[in-house]
Amino acid sequence: MTPHDPDSDTAAAVVVARLIEVSRVHGEGAGAVHALKGVSLDVAAGELVAVMGPSGSGKSTLLNLAGGLDRPTSGTVQVEGVELGELSAAGLAALRRRSVGYVFQDLNLIPSLTAVENVMLPRELDGVRTARARKEALAVLEEVGAGDLADRFPEEMSGGQRQRVAIARALVGERRLLLADEPTGAVDTLIGDEILKLLRGRADAGAAVLVVTHEPRYAAWADRVVFLKDGEIVDSAETGLVSAR
Amino acid sequence: MTIRHGLLALLTQGPRYGYQLRAEFEASTGATWPLNIGQVYTTLSRMERDGLVAPGEQDDQGRVVYAITEKGRAELDRWFATPVAQADRPRDELVIKLAMAITAPGVDVARVVQAQRSATMRTLQELTRAKRGAAIAQRLVLDSMIFQAEAEQRWLAHCEAVLAASPKEGT
Repeated sequence: MTPHDPDSDTAAAVVVARLIEVSRVHGEGAGAVHALKGVSLDVAAGELVAVMGPSGSGKSTLLNLAGGLDRPTSGTVQVEGVELGELSAAGLAALRRRSVGYVFQDLNLIPSLTAVENVMLPRELDGVRTARARKEALAVLEEVGAGDLADRFPEEMSGGQRQRVAIARALVGERRLLLADEPTGAVDTLIGDEILKLLRGRADAGAAVLVVTHEPRYAAWADRVVFLKDGEIVDSAETGLVSAR
Repeated sequence: MTIRHGLLALLTQGPRYGYQLRAEFEASTGATWPLNIGQVYTTLSRMERDGLVAPGEQDDQGRVVYAITEKGRAELDRWFATPVAQADRPRDELVIKLAMAITAPGVDVARVVQAQRSATMRTLQELTRAKRGAAIAQRLVLDSMIFQAEAEQRWLAHCEAVLAASPKEGT
């Protein structure tokens, strides 16, 4: 596990997401469920980190906390140096829109919007003008190999194509932290590999990427694989080579 | 298998020297199956004995080019047409180790399992890294190894779940 030694944070490894001794308890008293118990984790720019563990191990809780979708019971979460616990609701919402991209297994494009409109949405919500949002959206769709899908509605796409568009939506606007919860869902292994390749490419381009998966073959795309069990990190596997940044 | 069938397949592209066969064999298996040159020449001489390949003239450096024969082609066709039987794998040390860890008193089985999961994951990470930019034959060879490592990961996760749900035996 990466220790939180400030001296070890060289210029080459800017920490984008940092969890320090984070715990999350659901409920109270005897029925309390400790979803996460004192987990510390750094994800640096240019790094792809995978979290593996059985269901109920706290994987999704960890991801939601890292992205400010949930608040820890104790401990702190920082994104790009900003402590999320100190932000107002509006400040947190703005950070979620601007700095963090989310890809979920079933996250679901809006059926009444075309691919490009789905991708434009977060930018428009953020006050970007329509013409510019559209241009940005088309560029990102192109980047994920879905340029030809721009005018299709979700129901006119395959599962793999929809997931590509969902990833494009998570990427648009140069967000530096990308969070993906089982992004491969039920797609076959060829498409799954393509999805991880995309996420890998974003990490190589400088984003910090945190992926939750229960599939070893997809976790293997990561620089570092963290094993979570009963809300605690039990081990991690790191590739011998530091990824070329 | 069978180095001989691999060499026969390479010879269908035209006659080759032994050292060429060795290099091409390694290239097409993504260097996952290193051969030494002695194995190549031993195999070639046995195939010559069996009529599957025919040597050409020696060149001035004493090297011999080998070509596939009709019989060799027939053998290769038969090989491609025959599904591979689930080979008798040598006994799997990991399986034995886990069984023993459960049987022997005082062993932290969960730790044995986790240590193996991390090690296998590192292997998977290396294989996945090697896959980037690999040509298609190499990529499929690496994919095969990835699926095998993945199967081991799944089995280990299963072991972990079974162990967690079972009362400890022998304690």
